Amino acid sequence: MSKLNKLALPYFIWMTLLVLIPTILILILSLSNLDIYTLGSFTFNLDAFSIFSRPEVQVAAKNSIRLSLAATAICFLIGYPVAYYLANIKSSNKTFFVSLLIIPVWSNMLLRIIAWEKLFFPKSILNMFGLSFDLIGTDTAILIGMTSMYLPFMVLPIYSVLEKMDKSLIEAAKDLGANNIKTFFKVILPLSLTGVVSGTIMTFLPSMTAFALPERLSGGKTLLIGNIIEDYFMKTANINAGSLISIILMVIIIFLFILIIKFDKEGETLI
Amino acid sequence: MKKFGNITLFSITSLAFIVIYFPIFVITLLSFNDSTKDYTFVGFSFRWYIEIFKDDRLLEAIINTISVAVLSTLIATIIGTLTAIGINSLKKNMRVRMMILNNVPVINPDIVTGISLMLVFSLLPLSFGMGTMLMGHIFFSTPFVVLTVMPKLKELDENLFDAALDLGCNRFQAIYKVIIPSIKTGIIAGALIAFTMSIDDFVISYFTTGNGFQNVSLWIYSRLGRRNFSPAVYAYNTLVIFITITILTVVNRLNNNKSIKIKRRLKEMKV
Repeated sequence: MSKLNKLALPYFIWMTLLVLIPTILILILSLSNLDIYTLGSFTFNLDAFSIFSRPEVQVAAKNSIRLSLAATAICFLIGYPVAYYLANIKSSNKTFFVSLLIIPVWSNMLLRIIAWEKLFFPKSILNMFGLSFDLIGTDTAILIGMTSMYLPFMVLPIYSVLEKMDKSLIEAAKDLGANNIKTFFKVILPLSLTGVVSGTIMTFLPSMTAFALPERLSGGKTLLIGNIIEDYFMKTANINAGSLISIILMVIIIFLFILIIKFDKEGETLI
Repeated sequence: MKKFGNITLFSITSLAFIVIYFPIFVITLLSFNDSTKDYTFVGFSFRWYIEIFKDDRLLEAIINTISVAVLSTLIATIIGTLTAIGINSLKKNMRVRMMILNNVPVINPDIVTGISLMLVFSLLPLSFGMGTMLMGHIFFSTPFVVLTVMPKLKELDENLFDAALDLGCNRFQAIYKVIIPSIKTGIIAGALIAFTMSIDDFVISYFTTGNGFQNVSLWIYSRLGRRNFSPAVYAYNTLVIFITITILTVVNRLNNNKSIKIKRRLKEMKV
């Protein structure tokens, strides 16, 4: 099969082009006054760092970290039992139930966000069921929205690890005298850690960088870091500052990346 | 004790499905609502389903969404499969390195991928529009195909390719007639994920489109909270979900029938 390794070359070039070049470009942009649209000469400076003293950036950073950590924790607390339940049901429709988790992803994410937005106004379609919520602008609204959007991404990697797990290990633990709780914490949980790491990253990153979701569910009040990036790149043409925030995000991602590589070299639990 | 645990797990799973499906339920309800007002249910009607075909801009956006999804899925599946074959034949060190590069777009938040692509495309002599959006979609969906095909390739006997060559196939035939059929399930799964990623993408499309080229997500985003937001898009979304669930149910039924038949045959053989 080793004669086939040339097949990987075009992809290598294409990926390098689209991953490495923009990363270098964003790095230069964040440390200089380069104008991307004219591409003239530029000088290195640290002007972009002044954004850290801006209140809106500070608030957005705090909001992002707080809300995405909370959303990830909720997704894990709900998602792990769901994955465990689905991996252990004895039904011929097992794959069907798991696929049901993926179907909502086919539905447009923006529309699902709008659907939650409509429910969170006091005057909503829920009135006909005698219910009324006034949640727009609260953290609860954003957290419910995030859980609804990103929960499948937590469940699926954990499910795929639990599903492949050797069931005789659990029996062995019980034979050796462990009770249910001990078996879970000493055997099942450590063995499913790769799935938990992938699931956590797949929910943490999108919730931290979401921009349409907080924009709609907070009524424009609670800004997240994604809103700031979008604003700087698309609305106020403050590309150098936007690049700096992107670089900081990338540093966080590289850190998480190393974590993934440590647990799962070829990223087999990412899907 | 065990029963109690099962009931808890079942309730959490039900709660998860409710949280994930609730917005879809609301969208479906609104798609049958005989009114443009989204806070009261006036009466049952199919008018928004007919409206899909009357609203030119929406119809155009739907056609764009489907064309980009089909094209990017086709191209990503072909590139992804060939690349996975190539990566699989690399030595372990190189293979891990290629997989890390491959996983960058999988882990990167959409907003970072979107901005990166926007920057690269603005350096190249390209005009933003369908071409750039298509390239963006191919870029983020190919890694998923590679990820689904790789495990299938690892299960494959390494000598299979050489055997095919010995028996007189040329390299192209060996790939086409021997390797591809044995990794078919991985390729189909990859194509499905690629299609899923493309059909509901908003963020990457937002950063890579131009010249008024809109897919459904961009159509929605540009009309949020405006008067020209037509509930016909709810009808479109409901149709997509309905078609997906139907296909899934049929596939599930077929698979179950197959496994019942196999079980029956096994029983007959024993007798």
